[in-house]
Amino acid sequence: MTQENSTNVVELLNLKMYFPITHGLLRRRVGEIKAVDDVSFSIKKNETLGLVGESGCGKTTTGRCILRLYKPTAGKIMFNSTDISGMNENQLRSVRSSMGAIFQDPYGSLNPRQTARTIIGMPLIIHGMKTKGYDNRVEELFKLVGLDPSMMTRVPHEFSGGQRQRLGIARALACQPELIICDEPVSALDVSIQAQIINLLEELQEKLGLTYLFIAHDLSVVQHISNRVAVMYLGRIIEIANSKELYQNPLHPYTKALLSAIPVPNPVIERKRTRTVLKGEVPSPADPPTGCHFNPRCNIATGDCKTERPQLKDVGNGHMAACFRV
Amino acid sequence: MTNDANDDTQPVDIAKWSETAPRYSEIKRMISVFVGRPLPVIGLVIIVLLILVAIFAPLLAPDPPNQMEIINKLQQPSSEHWLGTDSLGRDTLSRIIFGSRTSLIIGISVTAISSIIGIVLGLLAAYFGGAIYHIIMRFMDALMAFPMLLLALLVASLLGAGMLNIIIALGIGMIAAPCRLMCGVVMSVKQNDYVLSARAMGMSNLRIMFQEILPNAFPPLLVLMTIGIGAVILAEAGLSFLGIGITPPTATWGGMVNDGYKFIMTNPVLAISPGVAIMLVVFGFNMLGDGLRDALDPKLRGVI
Repeated sequence: MTQENSTNVVELLNLKMYFPITHGLLRRRVGEIKAVDDVSFSIKKNETLGLVGESGCGKTTTGRCILRLYKPTAGKIMFNSTDISGMNENQLRSVRSSMGAIFQDPYGSLNPRQTARTIIGMPLIIHGMKTKGYDNRVEELFKLVGLDPSMMTRVPHEFSGGQRQRLGIARALACQPELIICDEPVSALDVSIQAQIINLLEELQEKLGLTYLFIAHDLSVVQHISNRVAVMYLGRIIEIANSKELYQNPLHPYTKALLSAIPVPNPVIERKRTRTVLKGEVPSPADPPTGCHFNPRCNIATGDCKTERPQLKDVGNGHMAACFRV
Repeated sequence: MTNDANDDTQPVDIAKWSETAPRYSEIKRMISVFVGRPLPVIGLVIIVLLILVAIFAPLLAPDPPNQMEIINKLQQPSSEHWLGTDSLGRDTLSRIIFGSRTSLIIGISVTAISSIIGIVLGLLAAYFGGAIYHIIMRFMDALMAFPMLLLALLVASLLGAGMLNIIIALGIGMIAAPCRLMCGVVMSVKQNDYVLSARAMGMSNLRIMFQEILPNAFPPLLVLMTIGIGAVILAEAGLSFLGIGITPPTATWGGMVNDGYKFIMTNPVLAISPGVAIMLVVFGFNMLGDGLRDALDPKLRGVI
């Protein structure tokens, strides 16, 4: 695929997604979970953006906002330069056919009572593409993800975990989407299958010119597949950089701690290296700390970290970090 | 294979990925679990017999059910009248055979009506949640607070007795159980990622409910419906026994027990034989339901 085409497929502008906490019979609003709190980033065509962070930091919510499974509280989601954040279901129809989604659990994401053929063809049926070429297209999709078309009449429980994830990928590809949101697509698979699925995703990206938002918590997997990586902490993006740059030169103290948690598969080096171990736990997104969300656990935090929110600032080469101390 | 359709896709090494376990049919497993134990099979046999008897009642019954021979009233069982005759000289066996039709018609139609309404309401309540959930489920709570017989009494006294009114009365009374069960099952089924995936594809709510959720929520409903038919037959017998059910002279088992119990000392067969018929049929439906529950339960895969 050509690289000079650098238009943004997706651009998030100050996206916010707050979930209300209701209480009692009258559903009184007693607070809100700030799952995604002012997130902005963009993904260029044919690029893979990795989104990492620990559980509950809002990475999945961000992905689901882009898929418009949630209606964001504030902010804009530009998809091919059109704002889709306020669209209703009817307006979204055409957008939905150009986005695909791959989910984490290959067991839960396929309807156990439908055959593989129906599952993969469903997006085509929904978008009124059940025409002459339908059967050929389904068969083509089977081959595209490396499944034997003779297994089309099987139901999900007759497939292995890796094969089911292939079915999920085939389904996401059915309508020839531009963007695919991969929500932890390999986390539920064992390591050897993970590699197969990652390779398949890379192969498909090259072949079909796809753009990926790759959500994961496995840092090495993300490093392998992503062009750029964004690190999220408590609903905010705290660092975003080229994959190579981020792993070699992490700037934000949280990113440093996160990367130092990757075990080194060499006991000699492993024993010598000093690990940054974080104190405490992730604060509740219902009651985040003031200022920098990371300040209670940060080892270099000073007074202004508690009062002011650090914005993402460019430190060169598109490497952005949200920390006063960089 | 249609290789011409996908020139741009390189052939992938399919053999490498395609080694799977041999095809293994879920339905075959269910049947083997079901027939593997005696009680469900006995239940099934009873119900099949009941259906056959109901269909071929005119051929099987020795006499028309309402033919009165006043001279031969209150006879003990004999070769002519196998289960004797009642106070109007009608053949008890013939009436039991024809009574199976009443029981089956009411059992099936009431269960069908209440299940369809209950399933739809439960599905709506659980899928949309919020206010819709509260309105529907509080209404069901109110319905459940009434004893079913009392509710049926109320409806029957408003509409009058008769087959159709009994079906309506029991049909309303039976909505709550399938509705609540459906609501609970749907709440858990809708958490699955395939529902999320269907929404991400742009599937309409109606289609998600009936195409993605309902088939996966249905097995426990099937069990409830089977057992429900037994409960309805029992309730109808109770109503007919109380004299607010099917209008005479239509043969019903409950009505026959009511007619016969006055003569329980002199001619016990009159009351006991329709009672045994009720018991057997309800037992049959319950056993069938139990068997279905075990056969459909994925957690019992490999255990029985």
